[in-house]
Parts: sequence; structure tokens; C-alpha cells
Amino acid sequence: MTVQALEIKRSSAAMWGTKTGLREKPVVSKYIDTTTCIGCKACEAACQEWNDLKTVATHQEGSYQTLPHLDADFWNLIRFNEREVDGGLMWLMRKDQCMHCAEPGCLEACPAPGAIVQYANGIVDVDPSKCIGCGYCSTGCPFDVPKFHKTTGKMAKCTLCVDRVEVGLEPACIKACPTGCLQFGSKEQMVAMGNARVSQLKGAGFQDAMLYDPQGVGGTSVVTVLGHGHPEWYDLPRDPHVPLLVRAWKSILRPLGVLAAFAAVIGVFGHYATYGPKEPPEGDGVGEGRTK
Amino acid sequence: MSSASAQPNRVDRAIVVARDRDNVVVAGEIVRHRRATRIIHWTVALTFLIGLLSGMPIWTPLFGWMAYLVGGMEVARVIHPYAGVAFVIASAFQFFHWLGDMHFASDEKDWWRPSRMARYMRWEDEASEEGGKYNGGQKLFFWAVCLGAVGFLVTGIPMWFPLRFPALLREIAIILHDVTFICFLIGVILHIYLGTAAEPGTFRAMTRGTVTRSWARLHHPGWFRKVTGESRDKRT
Ligand code: HEM
Ligand code: SF4
Repeated sequence: MTVQALEIKRSSAAMWGTKTGLREKPVVSKYIDTTTCIGCKACEAACQEWNDLKTVATHQEGSYQTLPHLDADFWNLIRFNEREVDGGLMWLMRKDQCMHCAEPGCLEACPAPGAIVQYANGIVDVDPSKCIGCGYCSTGCPFDVPKFHKTTGKMAKCTLCVDRVEVGLEPACIKACPTGCLQFGSKEQMVAMGNARVSQLKGAGFQDAMLYDPQGVGGTSVVTVLGHGHPEWYDLPRDPHVPLLVRAWKSILRPLGVLAAFAAVIGVFGHYATYGPKEPPEGDGVGEGRTK
Repeated sequence: MSSASAQPNRVDRAIVVARDRDNVVVAGEIVRHRRATRIIHWTVALTFLIGLLSGMPIWTPLFGWMAYLVGGMEVARVIHPYAGVAFVIASAFQFFHWLGDMHFASDEKDWWRPSRMARYMRWEDEASEEGGKYNGGQKLFFWAVCLGAVGFLVTGIPMWFPLRFPALLREIAIILHDVTFICFLIGVILHIYLGTAAEPGTFRAMTRGTVTRSWARLHHPGWFRKVTGESRDKRT
């Protein structure tokens, strides 16, 4: 890809001036077509290999799915869902990973300066050297993505292979996909490709087909073609938002609290200037000093 | 004790008495807080301070500099819950230690009203409002601190072990932890102000353990009369 140097657009727990550099970068995106995914899990293996992640013991829950959910050592998971639609059995597969939100709830919730950054190209990344392992990001994420790594004590998740993208390569999962259902490019291109595929599907009788690029989080750098619509059939929230309480915490309660604390300090000085100290009346203490 | 009697001129008699007795007059001073009380209270204050220094940088980067005082953000995250638990344990000791003195008398029941507190803060209390060892405001603060300690504990646990609790519960816990903290911080600022600059002669009650007679008569006339046995109007 074309993204080379990494400019930061947003950084967690920054007071101001989080943006570095002047260069605008094209926003990148993954493209996932669930209708052509064959569930081969090549992307899972590629992700484990490229990121040197520890092998995680698989967890059998009566389906082909490797694990019930993402893990600190497993950032790319094909979800297998079975569903009866119009009397026929549908086998729905979707690649699950960090969605790289344009307005990331993880970053908003994170209290450690610079532990979560959003690069100008849209990639949302955890910097383990600054992460304090508090887990606030998983509270802020509408997709339940960041996971606590018990060995490192830090949070871990998909980096969108920022180290590959940075030097002009596509992410490992994309590289491994044998059917072409995974693509990588600029967000614009990927959305255009997704819209074209959706109209093709609609023409072929998939009336509910849709492109999942949820606007509640400003759109995501993973756009997903859902053949049957209904995001919840694919374990996706229909209309994800950064949780309201996380918003209220960071943008209402916190400034109010800071203000109240400063007001209390100023008030105390004001009180002293207005009423002075409360002392015994003149002469009251005469002759009362301590004696041995 | 033995060293005091061996060296009668080195150790102040009031200090010696204040080791294990309070509410007594010693040579022109009155012992207000015996040593046990002071140790408990300073433990509460110190654990609170550590909780504060390790919690506030996590609250907002505006107070990020506090993290340096405890060894950095990662250290803050690790020690904060332990400091919090220590604070709650110390507060529990303080609760049982002070409970007996903290029941509201019938004429103190209006202290929750801002107007009552404001009247006190304008230094306009009537001489007839004698009170006991503590006034209504102190009692109110005592109960608020106890409630706050429980609040910190209950909301802090889901924040401590986020993986074990559902997201919504964590969100609510963070909000309530913050609300508790903000109220607490304002209360503590006022508490420290009243204990130092606003009411001179108070701070030594928590260090030496003793106060002067005039201090006691001014701030806690009811307690002063009970301890000294003096009548209401007597002036020395
Ligand atoms: C049993 C008592 C307590 C427990 C278990 C507890 C636990 C926690 C935890 C786990 C966090 C998240 C950050 C971290 O892991 O360090 C936190 C945040 C915080 N705590 Fe506590 N805490 C307790 C008491 C206190 C006390 C006494 C104070 C006040 C001095 C306090 C003030 C704060 C503040 C300001 C935050 C940051 C909140 C935010 O990010 O908005 N906590 N607490
Ligand atoms: S999906 Fe979750 S972890 Fe990924 S950017 Fe969005 S909020 Fe952050």
C-alpha cells in the first residue's frame, strides 16, 4: 500500500495537540466479503504467524469456530454461525477482529497517555510500552475487542498489521486469503467495492445484503459485506456506539469534577479572605498556656 | 511512663496522658485525641493520599504528574486498588472507634441542610448550640466518609477485575467511583481547611493530641463543660 510514514491523528489521554505532522494520509481499510469466505482459517494462521502469537488451545463448542471469542493471543477469529433462513440452513462465516473505528471507544476510554493511538491512516493501535493494563479500553469498545494479556499485563488486539502497512505491504490475513474475499486498499476503494458487491448480491436475490460500515462509530476501517443483512446474525451489533456512559464519564463528569475541585480550593481561599479564621475572643485564653 | 517519671522535665505531662486517655484536663490543656485515635486517623489519611496520588493520574492527564510521585502510571494502576483496600480497612477501624460519638443529637438533625452548614461557615453559631465532642458538621462528614469508603470498595472491585464483570456494570462502576471520588475530594479539601487555617489550634489535636481550654470552649462548648466541669457562663 501507499502508507509509509506514520502520522498520529489521535492519542489516548492527551490534553491537547495529539496530532503529529502535517501530512494527510489516505485512510486504509480491510474489505471482507462474507459471501465468498469458505471458512478455511488461513487468515487466522497468517495472523498468528506474522504477529508471533502463542498458540492458543482450541475450544470446542460444537462448531468449527476456533475459540468462543477473540483472545489476547488470538486477534483474528472466523466466527461460524448456523441459522435457518426460509427453511434452508445457512452457514454464516465472518472474520472478526478489531474494526479500527474512525471514532474509537477504546481510545476515548483509555487513561494512559499514548497507550492507544490512531494513525492518520485510520489504524488504531495499542502501544504496550505505555499501556497500564487497566482494561478501560474493553469497556469503551462496542465490539468487545481488546483483551488483557495475562503474561504481559497489557492489552492486546489486531494492529491491522501496522508494521506491514507502514512498509507498503498488505496485512497478513489479506495476503493469506485464497478466495479473494479479503481485500485491502483505501477506504474509498473498499467502500466502492463493497457497494458494487452488495448491488450484485441484491440482483442475485439477496434482498437484504448490506455493507457493514457502522456510522455510529464514524465508520470503520474494516468494511464487511453481509450477504443476508442482519448484522446480529453475524455476531455484530446493529448500530454500535461508544457506550453512552463512557461518553458521559469522559466528557461531562470529568470536566465537572475538575472544575468542582478547583472551585473548592478557590472557595477555601475566598472563605478565609471573607470570614477569616475562627479564633477565641480576645483575652479568653489568658493564663491558659500549658504548664508543666 | 517510666521514662516520664525518670525525666520529669523532658516529656510534657499532657503528652504522656494523651498516650492512652482523652477527654481529660491536664495542666491547662485538654486531651482531645489519645494516641490510638491519632494513629487510626493518620492511617486513614495516608492511605487516602496514596489512593489519591495513584487514582488521580488515571482520572485525567491534567493530574498525570502525580503518577511520578508513585513511580509511574503502571505502578499507579497496580498499587491503587491495594491503597484503596487499605483505606477501606483503616476507615472500618475508624468507624468503630468513633461510632459512639457520632450519633446526631436532636438539635443537630438539621445539619444536612446547606443553610445550616453555611451558617456555621459564617461563624454564626449561637452560644446555646453547645453540641457534644463533635458538631453536626463533623458527624455528617464522618458518615459521608463511611458511605464513601463502602462506595469506593463496591465500585472499585469491578474496575479492579474488569474481565470478570459485564461491560455495563463496569461503566456504571466507573461513573459511581468518580462521583464518590469527586464528592470525597471536595469534602477533604474543606476538612483540611477547617482543620488548619480556618480554625487555628485544631491541627495539634491530631498531632500532640491536646487542645487549649479556650479552643475547646469556642468550638465545642458542650464537650468543654463536660470535661472541665465548668458552668456555662464561667470565664477564666
Ligand atoms: C477499596 C477501595 C478502592 C478500590 C478497590 C479502587 C479501585 C480502582 C480501580 C481498579 C481503578 C481503575 C484504575 C486502576 O486500576 O488503578 C480506580 C480508579 C480510580 N480511583 Fe479507586 N479504588 C478504591 C478507592 C479509591 C480511593 C480511596 C480514591 C480516592 C482517593 C480513589 C480514586 C480513584 C480515581 C480518581 C480513579 C480514576 C477514575 C477514572 O479513571 O475516572 N479510589 N479505582
Ligand atoms: S473495534 Fe474496539 S478496539 Fe477496535 S478501534 Fe473500535 S473500539 Fe477500538
